[in-house]
Amino acid sequence: MGLRERMGLGGGRQNKAAVELPDIFDDEFLRQLELLQVIARRLIRGRQRAERKTRKTGSGLEFADHRSYSPGDDIRNVDWNVLARLNQTLVRLFEEDEDLPLRLVVDVSDSMLTKGAHKLIYAQKIIAALAYVGLAGLDRVGLTAMSGKAHETLPAIRGKSRIFRVFDFLRKAPLGGPTDIYGGCKRVAAQASLPGVTVVVSDFYDLQGAFDGLNLLRFQKHEVVAIQVIDPVEANPLDTGVRGDVTLVDVEGDASRDVTLSPAMLQAYAEAHERFCTTLANKCRSRGMPYFRANIDEPFDELVLRIFRLGGVLR
Amino acid sequence: MQLAGWALAELAVVFAAGAGVITLLYLLRMRRRQVVVPFAELWEQVTRESESRKLWRKLRRLFSWLIQLILLALVCLALGDPRPEVWLREPATTAIVIDTSASMAAVADEDGQTRLALALQRARAEVEALGPADRALIIAAGSEVSVPAPLTGEGGTLLAALDSAPPDPDSPINPKTRPRVRVGPGEADLGRALLLARNALGDQPTPRILVLTDGALDEAGVDAVDRCIERAKLEGEASCEVLDIGAPKSEDGEADTAFGRNVAITAFAARRYPSNPDQVEVLVEIQNLGAEPARFELRVTADGLPVGGKALELAPGDRALEVLPKLDAARERLVAELRPLEGADGNVDEASAGALGPSIDDRAYAVIPPLDPMEVTLVTDGGNLFLEAALLTLDDSVRLTTVGVDEGAASAVGDANLVFYDIAANPLPDPLPTTNLVIFDPHRVEGSPAPIPLLRELRSPRLSEQNEKHEILEGVVFKDVNMFQGTSFDLAPGDINLVSHLGEPIVALREGDHGVLQIGFDPRGSDLPLRTAFPLMIANAVDYFGRREAGFVAAIPIGASRELALADFGVPGEDVTLLEVLPPTPDNPIPARTSEDAEAGVERPTPLRVRAQDGRFRIRALVPGVYTITVKDGAAAGAVFEVAVNQANAAASNLESRLVDDHAVPEAHAAGPAPEPAPLSEGPLWTLIMLAAIALLTAEWASYHRRKTV
Repeated sequence: MGLRERMGLGGGRQNKAAVELPDIFDDEFLRQLELLQVIARRLIRGRQRAERKTRKTGSGLEFADHRSYSPGDDIRNVDWNVLARLNQTLVRLFEEDEDLPLRLVVDVSDSMLTKGAHKLIYAQKIIAALAYVGLAGLDRVGLTAMSGKAHETLPAIRGKSRIFRVFDFLRKAPLGGPTDIYGGCKRVAAQASLPGVTVVVSDFYDLQGAFDGLNLLRFQKHEVVAIQVIDPVEANPLDTGVRGDVTLVDVEGDASRDVTLSPAMLQAYAEAHERFCTTLANKCRSRGMPYFRANIDEPFDELVLRIFRLGGVLR
Repeated sequence: MQLAGWALAELAVVFAAGAGVITLLYLLRMRRRQVVVPFAELWEQVTRESESRKLWRKLRRLFSWLIQLILLALVCLALGDPRPEVWLREPATTAIVIDTSASMAAVADEDGQTRLALALQRARAEVEALGPADRALIIAAGSEVSVPAPLTGEGGTLLAALDSAPPDPDSPINPKTRPRVRVGPGEADLGRALLLARNALGDQPTPRILVLTDGALDEAGVDAVDRCIERAKLEGEASCEVLDIGAPKSEDGEADTAFGRNVAITAFAARRYPSNPDQVEVLVEIQNLGAEPARFELRVTADGLPVGGKALELAPGDRALEVLPKLDAARERLVAELRPLEGADGNVDEASAGALGPSIDDRAYAVIPPLDPMEVTLVTDGGNLFLEAALLTLDDSVRLTTVGVDEGAASAVGDANLVFYDIAANPLPDPLPTTNLVIFDPHRVEGSPAPIPLLRELRSPRLSEQNEKHEILEGVVFKDVNMFQGTSFDLAPGDINLVSHLGEPIVALREGDHGVLQIGFDPRGSDLPLRTAFPLMIANAVDYFGRREAGFVAAIPIGASRELALADFGVPGEDVTLLEVLPPTPDNPIPARTSEDAEAGVERPTPLRVRAQDGRFRIRALVPGVYTITVKDGAAAGAVFEVAVNQANAAASNLESRLVDDHAVPEAHAAGPAPEPAPLSEGPLWTLIMLAAIALLTAEWASYHRRKTV
């Protein structure tokens, strides 16, 4: 795809309704995910398991503590040895193993659909990879596709074999609408019965709501991970060759603006874009939310492994 | 300007169609491209500040449209192949003849520009108006004709020849640094210059001769101009145009006399007194050639030191012959100079300075000739030793030859400057020699050939009256002189009675080509030889005749070829064949002697070698000053003498135009106003227009890519 197409100069204003995504979830992609899962497993072995310990005591195998017997306790948990020696009726407590609720949120707004929707495709690949690794680790994985217009959720599923439901969801998820990070996150927070790890994959092209949405999830005890998908051509349009008097049309609305694009102005936009991304990253990190910038020119598997190496998504 | 390519109507159609297409394209161009952006909020933030330039954005669309129209206009103009009219006419060949005579140095206008400056200005205009196929040559007509620029079409060469920049002061004697067209002394040799011009234009297309002169010409120059005009009337001959740059005319057509003023030294010579070699007598002829009275100072200097001078006032047209006697000057080279008077405030009097005109004729040079002893022959019977003794006392200035009465014939006395006849009762030779004569008692023998005839014989005459003011009797007192007898003379008109006896002349002087002093008594028969008056009178007579005889050696006038005789400079030169002439330079008219220059390390011009034959030789005397001539062979080898060269030409100094009345230039042959310079000297104009269009296109392209234009 050429720069001009990526900049939206190919055929004038794009037809939002006519976005057709290619089917990327083929066997080859599945094999890629298998390989990725193996590598990711190696990276998190030992300290990162799907069987995650919680502070809850329950039916796990590992002894945690004793407490006095209360009526109704399962007598199988009575520590008979202590009773025999000390004549005290104590109940053995075990740490309970709990699966990780992993919520993957993908932005399907129009801004993700520009120039062949390559940002959305890239985001879908990331989502699929994370879901696969999560499912393979026996985590409960739920998906949400959000925009200002649409909000579709795949309830939490478990088991590697359910990856095809993930693919189906991503294929059939509604597309389009304005970017509304805050609104989407609000609904995700409302729907989640248990707070878990919530990965939001978006371009975050929402000056006001981007960080507020993530922060809202954080307030709801979610462990938020932000992955910003960026098209470098959009971020720095200086190399596109677009100059002169043009009408800038908002892909997410009818607003337009007549401007004269000069190298200085394009440079100013690139700098403003970089400032925006840096500010978002700083805000996330300052509040303990891992932030990853995903350049669509970077192979998605490398990005996923980078995410695993740095940690934060799976433990 | 004419179009050699497409016609104007065709170009108009092309331009109209092109302008329509351009306008249409621009109207389409005004529809902006749409660019879909995913982050409009950020774009809005960034582009908000450019709103203030919205008006300029609109204007520059108009500006870009105009640029394209200009480009189209340039291309259409190039298609038309415009050419100046001078390019379309037949090629012309012009010979520009510039008068460089002395009068061209005169101030010609109130800005102080000289006539030559105006002539050069006009010549430059002519050169700048030359078309690509035109050619021209420049001829400088001074005392000598030169060609500063040969026939060429290169304007640079021609303009370089007309460069009037002053010479490089660091190398004053290097002729290469001098302007090629500069005023020189003397008259313009227009005859040769115009002949040269006509020959050069012989086979050239559309030949034309342009004469730039002030009209202050001699007869030959005026005739040459007349001939040029007359020949131009013949078919196939070069046309002749004359531009009279003379004094500017006032509105009523009268010449402005303020610019025609000039006072010139027309003659200058000096000689030493035979009786007193340390003193010189100077002769200066000065002429006021202007139409207004002139007041000035004549100053004579020797080696920069003033030795004499006087203030003079000359009426218009007057000529003054000034003799400055008894100037103390041991040096041999004199300079006469006309200087403006000083005003009351000590500054130069402007009126006096203006009256002098060009300075080239305000200086003159003279070389005092060597004082040869005067050849005096005494024809005597040997009976008057007092006379011989009186002459022998003048040994320093007199070479005395004493001969007998029989040898006193005209043929025998040879080249004597003065002959004394003291022959008592012997008859005078008949005829008498044609030289200065002093004859004692000339009518003792009847039938004497003495020039002043006898009036009557006198007995015991008394010298009762004497002309004390005459130089011969200066300091001489004839009082109580006794004598036995004498004769009185019958004077003719013009004869001078020096001494008389009761009114009858007894000593008389007749002046003419040769002077004759007749003394009407025999000294032997008087007591005069015993008195101091006798040797004093003899010395005065020798000095008087000596000054008559040893005349002023006039300076040589300027000229390309002046014939001189070695004998005139006291050099026996019959066997001389080679001379070496060291000319002066305009900046150093009186060069120091070679030995002095060698000591001072002064660079001198290369001496010229000239041939001599039968004691005569020719030199090129084009620069006023002192020429040093060295004899290189013959018996007089090594002899060095000097010659002064002056303009000394009243006609050359006369600033008045002589192209008037019968010699007035016909209107058809009078040069009109200076032509307009050709727009371009060479090359088709359309290429330059296309270059301009390309330059404009490049600028537009660059500005487009910098978003200055749209």
